[in-house]
Amino acid sequence: MTAGPATVTDTLAGVPTARQVRTHLRKARSRHHDHSLGDVLGDAYVMVLFVGMYGWFAISASRDLLDSPTVGQAEPGVRWWLAIAALLAGAGLAWRALRALGPLLVTPATQSWATSAPVDRQAWLAPRFVLLLVGAAAGTAALGVAVAALGGVSDPTALGWAAAAGAGWGAAALALSVVAQSSRSGRRWPTVVGAVPMAAAAVITTVVVLVGRFGDGLPRPATTPTIALVALAVPLAGLGTILAVRALPRVDRATLTTGAQFANAAATATILLDPSLLANLVESRRWRRIGRVRSRRFLPGPGWWALLQADVRRLRRHPSAVLIWAALIGVQYAAALALPGLAGAAQVVFAYLAADRLTGGLRAVSRSPGLRRALGGSDNLLRGIHVVVPAVGAGLWWLLTLPTVDPGPAWLAPTLALGVVAAAFRAGTRPPIDYGGATVNTPFGMIPVDLLRQGSRGPALLAVLVLVQLFLG
Amino acid sequence: MIVDALSVRGLSRNFGDLVVLDDVSFTLPAGRIAVVLGPNGSGKTTLLRCVVGADRPDSGEVLVQGRRADETDPQVRALVAAALDDIDFFPDLSVVEHLELVAYAHGGDAEPVEEVLAELGLEPARDQLPVTLSSGQRRRLALASCFVRPRRVLILDEPEQRLDVRGRQWLADRLLRERAAGTAVLLASHDPELIDAVVDERIEIGK
Repeated sequence: MTAGPATVTDTLAGVPTARQVRTHLRKARSRHHDHSLGDVLGDAYVMVLFVGMYGWFAISASRDLLDSPTVGQAEPGVRWWLAIAALLAGAGLAWRALRALGPLLVTPATQSWATSAPVDRQAWLAPRFVLLLVGAAAGTAALGVAVAALGGVSDPTALGWAAAAGAGWGAAALALSVVAQSSRSGRRWPTVVGAVPMAAAAVITTVVVLVGRFGDGLPRPATTPTIALVALAVPLAGLGTILAVRALPRVDRATLTTGAQFANAAATATILLDPSLLANLVESRRWRRIGRVRSRRFLPGPGWWALLQADVRRLRRHPSAVLIWAALIGVQYAAALALPGLAGAAQVVFAYLAADRLTGGLRAVSRSPGLRRALGGSDNLLRGIHVVVPAVGAGLWWLLTLPTVDPGPAWLAPTLALGVVAAAFRAGTRPPIDYGGATVNTPFGMIPVDLLRQGSRGPALLAVLVLVQLFLG
Repeated sequence: MIVDALSVRGLSRNFGDLVVLDDVSFTLPAGRIAVVLGPNGSGKTTLLRCVVGADRPDSGEVLVQGRRADETDPQVRALVAAALDDIDFFPDLSVVEHLELVAYAHGGDAEPVEEVLAELGLEPARDQLPVTLSSGQRRRLALASCFVRPRRVLILDEPEQRLDVRGRQWLADRLLRERAAGTAVLLASHDPELIDAVVDERIEIGK
């Protein structure tokens, strides 16, 4: 006898609750490993301790650095307004990250074997939502304290208000992102919510830079409106939470699993110390969104000429790379105003980031031996052709930001610019990571030295360039 | 009035400017088997993903037994069983535990699990973890997940893939029994023998 289709007299009769399915799953899984709740809490404690200790150390060191003569004196209002712009830009990026992740997600295995069943979706997602809400509030509260401490605040009451403001806005953002996750595709408000702080950051930065260079500088407000921020954030977080709880039953499989792919790629990239795993997914999503392009013939000429045209065409089809390249010019001007003593070092770092945005073709030919075989020619020739666009981009970027730095020795600027191109080239031609390399047993645990060496290809050269600029610039 | 088990009305899906599905419509009564036909890249998998709610169509709607097929609706999830290529496994659950979990989550018991294991030839692998399974065994496990739970509509994306000759014979027999039991089956397939053996209706897309 073989099993036939079971009857569906009442489709939801006998369906267990979400809690029962979760318990069933947890029990089944716990039979095969001995990872107890105590282990999890222990790991979490170590993580919190680690982040707290090193986080506070980083804040103290940054505060000392900002007050040191090395960094130089900025206009009183410049740092305040640029900090506001940085917070707004960070908020916009955080919103985009929340939207990309879900933020609610289930693993593909859970989707395949548990949430595809008629288990109550709201009850299944509610514990995750609460956990995320508490995590977001705690994380942004810590961020609020860190920002206030960096700004010179040491009064415990003021730090408490900063923590409350951070927690309120963090919880509001998390809750509203869940509402956005449940909304139908095509709704514009989630895009607007992400774009407004980014646009505000761009406007503030532009005004600060223009007034800073051509005027007397913007005045710093007498007080930071932290209490007003709390007064706005708390009701918004409350309302957002109510809406999010109501929206939980409408969070569908499509958004739950899309975020899981990002989370999985991010976790794998972190564990394997290979950010390209996440970058590849982001890139494939981007090209998928574009879908179709207008194909045109290349202008006649030798093979390298066609490859160069293809690299330029790739850039035209990926305008956000050019947008980031251009935005980094504004960031460099802002950094030069806020941290005049570190303007040269900032120029090196931002030039590298700008050039790195233009290395899409270089990365594509470097990671695929099959593609190089198909294109023909030597590997060096192919890489040489694909470094032209990043090199031109880096050179142009450097020229446009020259007014932000003091002219040092005549040889320094071209050397650093060439060094930046070399660093971008090294990062762009990074081969796939080989996990068979050396590891060293240290008092802090096993350190995969060879993985770190491979991962630092490019950034290591950048660090040398920054040191050269700091000591010789 | 007889309500179709599955109705697709004006379904469209674009990736940027690329139109993958353009105003696809069809109906499938209970106890019928339909195959989606089309060349590579014609949107067969995208159509099946939209039908089960794994992807959001840009326009159009899917009805299951006259009910709007919103994946967040538990009734719809209870009615539609699907084996697509996006299935994943818990690394620490055995074959039989996966199937018992599905049966339990659908309000059933483990009774059909042993029968389905035997039918699909997965008995020797019942205690194996997914990482130790061959691609064919994984495919069988994915198909088994559809048969240990109640269903009125069955969606399969190239179910013959990675099955050996006996497996394909079993598949054809199983689909005929699904039809006899009143299940509406929608599948994408490139196997002409399977299509000739079981299919009642052909839905051509991407022409």
